[in-house]
Amino acid sequence: MLDLQALTQAVGDLDEEVVVSMLEEFVASDPSGDEAYKVVGACQQGMAIVGDLFEKNEYFVGDLIFAGELLTQAIDILKPVLGGEESQKVGKVVIGTVEGDLHDIGKNIFGSMIEAAGFEVYDLGIDVTAAAFVDKVKEVKPQIVGMSGVLTLALDAMKATVDALNEAGVRDGVRVIIGGNPVNEDACKHIGADAFTTNAAEGVKICQGWV
Amino acid sequence: MTDIKELQNEREQLFRDLFSGKAPKRVPVTNPATLEFAIQYYGEDLAEAQWDIARCEPVFDKFCQEFPTDTSPVGSLRLPAFYQILGSKAIVMGSGGFMQHPEVMGLMPEEYDEFIAAPYDFIIDTVLPRLYTELDAEPSKKAMVLAKAVKAFSDDWATLGAIRDRTNAKYGMVAPVVSLTEAPFDFMADFLRSFKGISSDIRRYPEKVVAACEAVLPLMIKKGKLPNPNILGFSFIPLHMAPYMREKDFAKFYWPTFKTLVEELAVMGQKVQLFVEHDWMRYLDYLYELPENTIMRFEYGDPKVVADKLGKKHVLSGFYPVTLLQTGDKAQCIDKAKELLDILAPTGRYWFQADKSIISTDSDGKVADNLRAVLEYVYTNGTY
Ligand code: B12
Repeated sequence: MLDLQALTQAVGDLDEEVVVSMLEEFVASDPSGDEAYKVVGACQQGMAIVGDLFEKNEYFVGDLIFAGELLTQAIDILKPVLGGEESQKVGKVVIGTVEGDLHDIGKNIFGSMIEAAGFEVYDLGIDVTAAAFVDKVKEVKPQIVGMSGVLTLALDAMKATVDALNEAGVRDGVRVIIGGNPVNEDACKHIGADAFTTNAAEGVKICQGWV
Repeated sequence: MTDIKELQNEREQLFRDLFSGKAPKRVPVTNPATLEFAIQYYGEDLAEAQWDIARCEPVFDKFCQEFPTDTSPVGSLRLPAFYQILGSKAIVMGSGGFMQHPEVMGLMPEEYDEFIAAPYDFIIDTVLPRLYTELDAEPSKKAMVLAKAVKAFSDDWATLGAIRDRTNAKYGMVAPVVSLTEAPFDFMADFLRSFKGISSDIRRYPEKVVAACEAVLPLMIKKGKLPNPNILGFSFIPLHMAPYMREKDFAKFYWPTFKTLVEELAVMGQKVQLFVEHDWMRYLDYLYELPENTIMRFEYGDPKVVADKLGKKHVLSGFYPVTLLQTGDKAQCIDKAKELLDILAPTGRYWFQADKSIISTDSDGKVADNLRAVLEYVYTNGTY
């Protein structure tokens, strides 16, 4: 078994070379699914370090972006030993950046983290219309819908999306969480979402509490 | 008419003094509201109007008359015809009619070496057809597309320029000649590797990023050059990536070629205006090093600290938060202007511009009312 603490530290340091070589070695050792989830946990703790350093102004947005890339890459390396297709998924989540907004860095970070937490993720991409959210919800029947946006006008698009889910009669079947820099409690109420956050790790915890 | 000419001369003198480090007679005022604002404020459709700029002349005329400032507000960053004809992916019109810049990638990471060896050729042969899809064609079609686009570009700008000359003649405003260029690292991020791509590249291929910035530097200098360097014109450089980087990355990747760019432009005898976007408080000591009288328009940060650190060497501007025009009442908006005047005017090197451009109107006209009050306040009370 690999040194989990060292892995956490390497993720926190954003040391791609070390992270990749540790994970590749780990995967080659034919580990159990259980062990693999512990390794995912260690990566997530590494992301928490990144978040702390960001709060302390030691890392900046560019470093967060690279952290998101690194995490996605880590999950990709681990996928073959995470139990494959048949493994039990914790739940389904549909995510996307709302209409009019083309920013997806935050959404992607949340997407990889929630995938790492064992959710099946349907990512609709950017500039996603309310109708596209509704269609996907009807199709895959997720427990959770996650909307992302960083433009001020994204808040209006989020509201329009929740309204459309209501009109289509599917709002009650899902929990809605919103994220991105401009969201806050007032916006959350106004939009009619169930939860909001500007921190992807907290978002994952909220979702875990729902399933 | 002679009164107008005199007013225009007086205004030009304000900028001549300001840009050469002398305190002008009063603080010059620039309108933060843009063409997009004016079109909407006077009830035109934004998307349509930008396609037919000639029909906006009455709008611009009213705008200049009702919001008097020293510089002309008639101008645009980007008009759509040119971009549409080229099939642009780098600059597109959003559903609301605003021209915007989505994330694009003109250069793949494995192409760095080829790019560094001959950046201009690589841009022409590979990057342009990727970002401007209509150029991804047979040479003959490509030539037609390019000819059409350039024609549309020069027609649109000639129309806008003529409107500006007419309104300036009527209202005595001045319009400095402006060229636009980018810091080499920002150019790499905005058009070649994307925000995401460059943020990973500095960790994965640091030496290639440094070499690429050096390779595009001559192009950025050329792009920033004015036809006739002149005290009233400047090269405008919006700054993007630095606040999102660690200082040690900034010092290695961003600063060296950016500093050379500004120095080279200054040596040619022209002014440089930096739009210091986001928060640069971590980098004030670097900014201090730039050539004397570099014009710096700040978005965020502490104006007091900036005045102390940079006020003896550079021309300072910006800081006025346009969001206040939306949320505040008239008295609060004017107080803020007074506060900034009190802090920045004593440097003798202050130019009133806001922290960002105003590109949209609100439904009840509050922004316009507050804006008018603030512009008038600074115009009449802006002494050094
Ligand atoms: C990177 C960036 C870009 C990149 C985008 C690259 C990309 N692929 O996303 C580029 C250069 C392309 C870009 C373009 C534009 N941008 Co921009 N951009 C930014 C910038 C610098 C960072 C945004 C970011 O990624 N932050 C980092 C991420 C990690 O933070 P986050 O999104 O909040 O995500 C975290 C949490 O909120 C949470 N989260 C996020 N989503 C979700 C979802 C769920 C479900 C959950 C649970 C959690 C969650 O997890 C993340 C990690 O904790 C900001 C400025 C800033 N400092 O914020 C401006 C900014 C957002 N941009 C802005 C603007 C105006 C634009 C443009 C319109 C500019 C133009 N004129 O062309 C265009 C956009 C066009 C459009 N329609 O969207 C403005 C927005 C102003 C406003 N109030 O509306 C900002 C604030 C800059 C500014 N100061 O003016 N931009």
